[in-house]
Order: sequence, then C-alpha cells, then structure tokens
Amino acid sequence: MSDLDRQIEQLKKCEPLKESEVKALCLKAMEILVEESNVQRVDAPVTICGDIHGQFYDMKELFKVGGDCPKTNYLFLGDFVDRGFYSVETFLLLLALKVRYPDRITLIRGNHESRQITQVKFPLLASPHPLAGIFVSAPLSIQHIYDILSKQVYGFYDECLRKYGSVNVWRYCTDIFDYLRCEKSWSGKLAMGIWVDHGDMGGSLDTLVLSALIENKVFSVHGGLSPAISTLDQIRIIDRKQEVPHDGAMCDLLWSDPEDIVDGWGLSPRGAGFLFGGSVVTSFNHSNNIDYICRAHQLVMEGYKWMFNNQIVTVWSAPNYCYRCGNVAAILELDENLNKQFRVFDAAPQHIHSAWLIELVSLETGDKYLWGELLNSQLLKWSSIVVIRSW
Amino acid sequence: MEVEVDENDLKAAGAELLPGGRHGIRIQGWEVESLKRSILSSSTLQLWEEKLQTSHFPEMIFGESCLVLKHLNSGTKIHFNAFDALIGWKQEALPPVEVPAAAQWKFRCKPDQQVILDYDYTFTTPYRGSETIEIDATKFATMNSISLDGPNEKANVSAGTYNLQWEDCTEQIDVVALASKEPILFYDEVVLYEDELADNGVSLLTVKVRVMPSSWFLLLRFWLRVDGVLMRLRDTRMHCVFGDNASPTILRETCWREATFQSLSAKGYPTDSASYSDPSVISQRLPIIMHKTEVLKVPAHI
Repeated sequence: MSDLDRQIEQLKKCEPLKESEVKALCLKAMEILVEESNVQRVDAPVTICGDIHGQFYDMKELFKVGGDCPKTNYLFLGDFVDRGFYSVETFLLLLALKVRYPDRITLIRGNHESRQITQVKFPLLASPHPLAGIFVSAPLSIQHIYDILSKQVYGFYDECLRKYGSVNVWRYCTDIFDYLRCEKSWSGKLAMGIWVDHGDMGGSLDTLVLSALIENKVFSVHGGLSPAISTLDQIRIIDRKQEVPHDGAMCDLLWSDPEDIVDGWGLSPRGAGFLFGGSVVTSFNHSNNIDYICRAHQLVMEGYKWMFNNQIVTVWSAPNYCYRCGNVAAILELDENLNKQFRVFDAAPQHIHSAWLIELVSLETGDKYLWGELLNSQLLKWSSIVVIRSW
Repeated sequence: MEVEVDENDLKAAGAELLPGGRHGIRIQGWEVESLKRSILSSSTLQLWEEKLQTSHFPEMIFGESCLVLKHLNSGTKIHFNAFDALIGWKQEALPPVEVPAAAQWKFRCKPDQQVILDYDYTFTTPYRGSETIEIDATKFATMNSISLDGPNEKANVSAGTYNLQWEDCTEQIDVVALASKEPILFYDEVVLYEDELADNGVSLLTVKVRVMPSSWFLLLRFWLRVDGVLMRLRDTRMHCVFGDNASPTILRETCWREATFQSLSAKGYPTDSASYSDPSVISQRLPIIMHKTEVLKVPAHI
C-alpha cells in the first residue's frame, strides 16, 4: 500500500495526518490543481455535492449513499471547511482523494475556502455569566455536548491551532485555496477575486477551479452568477486577466444568490453582494446553451431546491447543519445521459470522538471533570455551569 | 435536551415534568414548555413570505420552535416565537447598516442597472414576547363576547381584550436571588432565528428559561454584531416569583444596548470581532440606550 493510500485510509477514520504529511500532500495537490481550468470540464456520469462544512461523519454518510471515490465520479461545489467539528479531516480527505484520483473528483472553491473567512473565528468558551450561563445536569448526554459545542462558532483556523498546536497546517491548506484562486482585494472579509500569477510554478498557470461544466450542459458554481459575466468564455478570460486586481466577478461566483423577487440584479442592502433574478438566469443559460445551473451556498431544509422553472438548482450536502438545523442533505446524481436523480440523506448519529478532550468545570465547586468521568456520575448538579473545551 | 432532574428536588418543589415526551415542567400553577424543531421547510417559508410580504429571511429560522409559559388557571400564555419576532422586524423596518466594503461596491456598481434593496438585513426586532389568553371553550362556553369554533375548540383572544397590560414600575429584577444556589428544575434554550450576515457578523434571537422552586426566569436576547460597524443587544428578562398562585405578578426588564466599533475604539476597547463573540461577556461595554421595567399582574379569572 502506498503512503497516499495509507493516508486515505487513515483520514477515512477521521484521524488527521502528521504536519509533514499535510505539507507533502498539499504540494502534490497544487501540482494537480494548477493544471485545471477555470471552467473545469467534467464528464458524466457524475455526482454533485454541495456544502460540507467540516461535518466529516456526515460526509461519510454521503459516500455511503453516493458510493466510494473513485467508483463514483464526484464534483464538490465548495465550502469544505468551517462550522463543523472536522474541517481539517474533511478537507484533507477530499484533497488526498484528488491527488490519488485526479480525474474522478473535482473540487470547486467555495466562499469559505478563503484566508479571511477561516481566520476570523472565535475561541471556544462557554459563558460563565450567572444569568446567561449554560446549565447542565449529570448524567450528561451526547445531545448536551452537541448542544453546547454547536453553539460556538467553529472556524478552520481555530481547529488547526487546536489540533496541531501551530498555524502551519492552516497555512498549507490556505495556500491551496490561494493557488486555486484569489487574493484579498476589497476590504472586509469578502473573498474577492484577483488572480495571482504564480509564474514561478512555470508554464501556463490556470487557476483553481471556480466552476465546472458538465458535458457542456450543466454549469456548476458555488454561489451564482455575476453582472460582470454573461458567457462562460468571460470566466475563462478572467483567467487571463490575472493582473487586473479589482475584478469582482470571482467574488460574485462564490457569493451571489438567486432571489425570487429581483428581476435582474439586486445589490444587497449591506452594500456588498449581489442577488440575481430569473431573467438573469434565463439569459445566461440561453447564451451559453446550458440546461441549468447547479450551485450550493444556501441552506435548504429539503437538501435541494429548484428555482426559476428548473433553470437553477441549489444542492446542500450538510445534513443537520451546525448539528442543530434539522435539515436533510442531498446530492445530485447525473447518469451518462444527464438524467437527474437526487439522493437525500440524514446526518450520521452523533457521537463523542475519542480525540475530544472535554473538560467540565463546575462553577459551584470549582472541580474539574473529564467528559468520560461524568457519564455515570451525579457529581455535577443542576445549577452548575460547565465550561467545555474540546480537543 | 434530555435532562434528568433530581426527583427529590422536584417533589420538594411540588413540581412535575411534563409527560408524554413533552419537554417542560408544571409548577405552582404554571406550565413551562419548550419546543425545539428543525428550520422551516421551503413550503412553510413560502407561506411566511406571503404572510409577511417579504422574501428576505434569516438563513436559519426555527419557525416551529417556541417557548411557552402558561398560567393554567387564567389561561394567560406568554410565549416566544420567530414569526411574531419577524413581524416586529418588519414593523420597525430600520434602515440597512452598511458594511465597510460597501464603498468599493458602490464605486463598482452602476446603480441605474441594479436595484439596491433596502430592507433591514440585520433582522433587528423590538420583539419582547407574545401574550395571549387561551380559553378552554368547554369552561367558558357562555361567554358571548368570544367567538368559538366548537365546544372543544380553544380560542385565542388578543391580550388587550382582557387588559393584559404591562405597566411601568420601579421595581427591579432581584439578581441576587437569582444567583443563589437553588436547584434548577428545568432549563432550556430555544434559538428562534439566526443569520451570519454573509460572514459579516451575527444576528441571533434566542430565548432561555430556567425554573427553580421559588420562581421562573427567562432571557430573550437579540444579539447583533455587524463586523467593523456596530453591535446591538436587546435583552428582555422576565421573572415571576411564585407566591400568589391565583394571580401572579411578572416583572419584565427591557435593556437595549448599542455601540459602534468606532465608539469602542475611541474608548480604547479592542475592535476585532473575535473580542465580541459572547454578548454576556462584553455587554457592559455597550452603552444602554433604553431601559425600563414593567410589571404584569396576571388576572385571576377571565
């Protein structure tokens, strides 16, 4: 068994790789990804997956439903990281599969595959405020732990720090994001796009996959359309305009949303971000001779949602998003004739990961307990407030 | 949340947990119940779009989740739900808060070609809870001022009809008593809606409740942070000390706080978003813009 196969097996068990292995994997992945086009061509049959958001065990459910890679050809529409507990393992497994089976899995960039977004997240700490604290009684249930943990905002950056004790892994991974795409341009945390010319990599540098085109008929992108783009060729051209720093087309592809009420383009009231209406989609699909657009980016209770007379579909693949939304997830299977079949699936059963270090502090007594110690004890009474640190 | 409470504590307080898989407690003439459900289905969301006349909603709406506190004798019901809160949002209709990136966007956009939407995307709501009086039709069938659908139907009557009026008062919620080491017989938190503002902060409406042998206490909190721009904290606390079980008194404290990042910076506070992840920790830094206490005397009988 090769190192890579061994690493894939390890990642499938949700065990992160060593830092040196991550570095080597990321370097290999870069070599592959830089060769891919801005509008990556994908053959059918293919299975399209929406946001994953670090929900590793739910992604395993996805593979159970959709079949293993490489047997099934996969297209992931981005947002692999943030929110869930396992951004590191999720992203590394997908990346390892990409390196091992480059023609059987395509990874598109989502708005969360960005330095700005993954970095600005918050430390994990429950509040000890007497009027707003978290009250837990023994025995604790797994649901308790999830209820408490899932109220925290999880970021990829924090997770790398917790799991590796340094930011190196985060750097390697975000380098991949960068390779594939853009540097910070506008202010704020919006991941806006400018291509970076990686001339030192040698040769014609295409970029990271911003979108995919399945059999010339299904256009796939993380967010949506851009007022700066009316044809696929324009996306390919952006590619060659890397030196133009403040082009927002890429940002739109990652961030924009279809919206029922807007006919044409709507600028969000925040003053940043676009919404596009049915007429925009109709004309885009017509001029590019495509059947429909497949995108992710928005949470949908039913896992998928058609809009504008089946001209655009949202696919969402993170069931029970943030471990508390109660939604189902979906993937879209296209056969060789592009016949569609949605497969809907539920979240994996919640369980406590062996690598978690969950420490509970009773503010009543000041005593500390580990999660395992408390399972069958009555030590922690109601009115105690617990602080939970994981990993 | 499945919770095991000490049976002895319950017994001593004369309380019982609600049967039949319901999540709540019956104590001193009150029934406190929380319902936690999934986010709205697409079809229900469409209904809400029609009812509220908008297509803009928070990313996560827990529309069927609620917290209900019902005074059994009088039928007085204090409850918290996302729909009523969003009605409040629609009515208040604050102007949109601009993020720092907006200037560049304006430069880039050609406004004549695009509609600039101007709803309050922060979903700021003045909501402080809902009150109704729920009347058991079999019991009050002779009351002709209420239209009833049938002998076993229940009718919801607007609070005003029966003078369910909050009145200003000077009394304050007894925080010291609340911090005492009383057993907590029931605790829950219900998220009503939540939005990440496209990763530019957070908008969160949540209500938590705890029930002790001597009182119940709840906190409805709207928390908004628009990164780099402003924070809003709108807290509504209610406290009901058990005593006169026939006609209890509820204290309601409303405290609204608001600060711009600019004003915090001027005071020497940090201005990175990570320092403002937990409103409980930083609330004192935000100046109070509105504070009042009111009292509600629950009527003994209708």
